Amino acid sequence: MTEIVVAVAGQPNSGKSTLFNMLTGMRQFVANYPGVTVEKRVGRMNYKGYKFMLVDLPGTYSMTSYSLEERIARNFLLKERPDIVLDVVDASNLERNLVLTFQLLEMKIPMVVVLNMMDAAESARIKIDVNGLSEELGVKVVPTMAKRGVGKAELCDALLDTYQLAGDINDFRLDYGPQLNRSLNVLQEALADDERASAYDLRWLAVRLIAGDEEVSKLFTGSLA
Amino acid sequence: MTDTVRLNTLKPGDKCLIIEIKATGITGQRLMDLGLIPGVVIEVVRNAPLVDPVQLLVRDNHISIRHSEAREIGVILL
Repeated sequence: MTEIVVAVAGQPNSGKSTLFNMLTGMRQFVANYPGVTVEKRVGRMNYKGYKFMLVDLPGTYSMTSYSLEERIARNFLLKERPDIVLDVVDASNLERNLVLTFQLLEMKIPMVVVLNMMDAAESARIKIDVNGLSEELGVKVVPTMAKRGVGKAELCDALLDTYQLAGDINDFRLDYGPQLNRSLNVLQEALADDERASAYDLRWLAVRLIAGDEEVSKLFTGSLA
Repeated sequence: MTDTVRLNTLKPGDKCLIIEIKATGITGQRLMDLGLIPGVVIEVVRNAPLVDPVQLLVRDNHISIRHSEAREIGVILL
């Protein structure tokens, strides 16, 4: 039986490694400062007869190509195309964490969002409309407290459901405002017939090109489409 | 119309509205990743001349950046 590959992504200090350990039962080194996870770590779990392979990506604030960690994480998602990307969000820091969530959604890989550290959010008196967030993003959202093992079964169910519905990729579309939306549409159309763009989501490519992403620009150096 | 000033010129306790991030490339990206985005109101917690870092309060988060980076952020004092 094939393994379901889950890439675990998230910002530094979102409790990503703790969550990874909760799911796989591993005791991976976890420290209370950002930037601990620098290489790819792999763990396995079984759930309801399914085998999962979890890949712990380096913590990154965004998915551009500026730092080595970002390039490692992004290339894994683009080249290996995991079955699911699990986006670990620090619930007490939702707004900042959503930057990465949006960038992951734009990569159009089946996705589950984990609202981790719900206890920290509660003690900061932050209330999150979990269902509302799930509806807006178009993906399953699961609250957890990985440190205390809370939310594990719900998360595993969400992963399984998402895997089984893998045909329905989220139709989330970030509104960049009228001016940029127009430019994105023009660029997207120009990319539609370009062979070099065929392995990627066109909207994602257009966004990255407008942002001046070096790695993505390299795909198109030489001639203009 | 209030003038836009550079963030590094503000004093502890000052509140301001971010107008523009002049930094580009990796610095600009990182500043925005940390929540320093035009339209956001922030507070200066610590800022001494010539001594890094500049400490800011951004949506309940304390973040520290360099003077050289604060200089690249245009704000309006509130």
